[in-house]
Amino acid sequence: MIQALLWLCLLLQPQSADPSVPPDALPLLQSGIDAENRGALDQAVTAFRKAADLAPSSAIVFLRLGDAYMKEHDYAAAIAPLQHAAELSPDSPAVHQLLGYALLAEGYASDAIPHLKIIHDPGALGIAQLQAGQAAEAVANLQAALAKAPDDADLLFYLSRAATALAGQSLDRLRSVDPNSARGHQALGQTDYEIKMLPEAAKQYEQAIAMRPDLPGLRLELGQVFAAGSEWAKAEEQFRGETKLQPGSAEAAYRLGNALLQQGKMKEAAEELKRSDSLRPGMPETLYALGRAAASSDPDAAEHALERVIELEKDTPLAGQAYLGLAQIHRRQGKTEQAAREMQDYRRIQALAAHPPS
Amino acid sequence: MTRRELLSLLFSLGAREFGRLLPAQGAKPRSDPVFQVKPLKGVDFVLRNSPTARKYLIETMPGGVALLDYNNDGLLDIFFVNGGNVRDIMATPINFDRRNPAYWNRLYRQNPDGTFTDVTEHAGLAHAGDSNYGMGVAIGDYDNDGFPDIYLTNFGKNILYHNNGDGTFTDVTAKAGVAAGGWSVSAGFFDYDNDGRLDLFVTRYLDWSVEKSKICGSERATYCPPGSFSAITNVLYHNRGDGTFEDVSLASGIAAKKGHGLGVAFADYDGDGFTDIFVANDATDQFLFHNNGNGTFTEGGLDSGAALSESGRMPSGMGVVFQDYDNDGLPDLLVTQLPHDPYVIFHNDGRGLFSAQELEAGFGVLSGNVSGWGVGLEDFDNDGWKDAFIVQGHVFDNVETYDDSLRYREPPLLAMNRAGRFERADPGSDLPVAGRGAAFGDLNNDGWIDVVTTSLGEAPQFYFNRRGPFHWLTITLHGKRSNRDGFGARVQVNGQTRFATAAGSYLSSNDKRLHFGLGSAETADIEIRWPSGIRQALRGVKADQFIVIEESVQP
Repeated sequence: MIQALLWLCLLLQPQSADPSVPPDALPLLQSGIDAENRGALDQAVTAFRKAADLAPSSAIVFLRLGDAYMKEHDYAAAIAPLQHAAELSPDSPAVHQLLGYALLAEGYASDAIPHLKIIHDPGALGIAQLQAGQAAEAVANLQAALAKAPDDADLLFYLSRAATALAGQSLDRLRSVDPNSARGHQALGQTDYEIKMLPEAAKQYEQAIAMRPDLPGLRLELGQVFAAGSEWAKAEEQFRGETKLQPGSAEAAYRLGNALLQQGKMKEAAEELKRSDSLRPGMPETLYALGRAAASSDPDAAEHALERVIELEKDTPLAGQAYLGLAQIHRRQGKTEQAAREMQDYRRIQALAAHPPS
Repeated sequence: MTRRELLSLLFSLGAREFGRLLPAQGAKPRSDPVFQVKPLKGVDFVLRNSPTARKYLIETMPGGVALLDYNNDGLLDIFFVNGGNVRDIMATPINFDRRNPAYWNRLYRQNPDGTFTDVTEHAGLAHAGDSNYGMGVAIGDYDNDGFPDIYLTNFGKNILYHNNGDGTFTDVTAKAGVAAGGWSVSAGFFDYDNDGRLDLFVTRYLDWSVEKSKICGSERATYCPPGSFSAITNVLYHNRGDGTFEDVSLASGIAAKKGHGLGVAFADYDGDGFTDIFVANDATDQFLFHNNGNGTFTEGGLDSGAALSESGRMPSGMGVVFQDYDNDGLPDLLVTQLPHDPYVIFHNDGRGLFSAQELEAGFGVLSGNVSGWGVGLEDFDNDGWKDAFIVQGHVFDNVETYDDSLRYREPPLLAMNRAGRFERADPGSDLPVAGRGAAFGDLNNDGWIDVVTTSLGEAPQFYFNRRGPFHWLTITLHGKRSNRDGFGARVQVNGQTRFATAAGSYLSSNDKRLHFGLGSAETADIEIRWPSGIRQALRGVKADQFIVIEESVQP
């Protein structure tokens, strides 16, 4: 994005009207501009450097030199002439924009921020703030930029990074200000879980639950810790506790259903997954799990759930798995032709995944 | 009605009839350890896999173990496959230093007092070729002379040792024409054309060599996944009956499919009288080769429901056993694999169809975060239901450094079968090892199945069954028209079914005798369908004995 923006708003005035450019520098300046227009950037840089020697007080000459360096992607070389231009012309937005971009491109995010603030470029400013560790400010500015360009992939990417960084900073602060609170233990548990230290994570969550047994979410997260270690009976206990705390939570119901499924408690799993589907209809993972759980005990419900997965997912790998599940059900029912067609669809999706269309 | 449909109908009727004799369901789990783990006097083998910083993939894959009675004295002997010496920088031609006794394969003869004697050198098995890194072993009497022969798989060239019947073996690989080449893993003898002679199937893992070796992992070096290397074909050798074999991989259709084969097991899953092949593939579809009965096979794992796990994912198949776990008379499959998915049960639903039922069988609880290799379905408590024993340990020797929830060394999993659902039990040892091979058999002839396992860089483990109150029966088949070992026979005893084979597990070969737990029954009714098609029945056979059943000459 930086590069795309760089060349959009370079504001240059007619040099002949600038009294700071001495007459003997003007031909060199013009020669540099001509070379630049021809795409001969090396020649342009040489001409601008000679002009700069003759016009040490001309902001426009140093701006031109910095601009030529930036067009060559030599951001490090651009910084010095642009800083000199900024000293000579502190109110020029063009100078601050180029200097801000050059500093940001070279990793001097903190130094770039004052220049980017002057030109009111929330996107570039947000990126700089993210890199400078100012996550909250970065989120605000990137959201402002996205309001104007909601589909900009770079902005979306940096916003996700900034939000993650902000969450991390918030958790760090929570851990530092009140590590022994329930939330503190929850935060520590989350960190342990992310780095796959599952026993330690479980201990943290258990301490949090002991302190605030009615806090929603704790049992859900502890259950996920147990699930990651394939301790499904323990996971079931926690998810069951969460569903009592939050009977309207579709996620808790889904996770309880999945824990039951993993233990082979198919009928119970199907019931819980149906409940999850009624709380939040149209979740493909819930429907797929329901298709698996009900395959033997209630094949009609399983078939319906798997067909809905296919409707929602079209040609994704999950849809492929749903076709496979349908084929299994239909083979058992002796519907061999239908099963064969579903296997064809499964293979088609497998082939798509292996060789995606360009 | 086709011939196959008729056979299938007869088969299912037979199973139903025997179902009346099934032992009572819902027996209480045994809480005390099932095995006593102890060293064997005279066995000093160490599986030397030679791990290096270069992470050559072969280092993490050996090695097999076989239980065989090579001298026909009625006592099981033990053969171990060793790896080899791998150096960090391997030059070609490769030298795995197999002349060095530390890297020999080993044969231990059981003495009458239960001790063992290393007879490797005397038997002529001391040196397995410097360019061969050892993998697995298959046992079978390929020339029907009554003495079990040994087939070794290697990275390199495989070796067939003919048992001379006098305590020695002769390397007959060149004459037999069964060297294969590349990276062979598990192998097994079976008679695919029912001509009375054992044929040979060899799985091959992938197209790997020292030159093609790669190191994976970003911050920490790891072994590369199988997808980093090209898939390769398995090999089928037809026994001509004159001491030579013909490579029929192409003609039979076996070579039409490339995969990442590790384990192999045999059974006649559709009751058509011809033995079929299942290949456990790593991180790709599993292969179910249906025997067409005319010398060809058709791979139909996906369409039969025996290729993907219950969640629809490709298992990283390692070891496999092909036996009937739920006493419905049809052989099922138990496939071990890497963590994050349970070991897979392909339940045989009849009519040639399978369904993945690992969750219903309890393996979702037993096996989510472990890595399984050698595997057996044996009735360890003689209650009439086959239990599962699986040796475990992750592929990566540094797995803990990037995932604290996984372990390179793990204790084995013992799961007792409670009427078709498996429950964790105490194997008698929680010692974590990098388990690989496992062979099952009655080492001390007490009527209770024991286990021998191998683990990387360590001595083998011996699990001696602590016994219990129930009765048992152990049958040795003696084929006449069929192959001498009776491999491929279906034997039904009091409602249980076993398919005669020494193959299965991972890299390993089991006691060929067929063991049945009888629960509280003091007699057994036996029905055998031999590979020749001959059927034989024995009624009221007394429990708690070893019997030899010769194939009837009457069809």
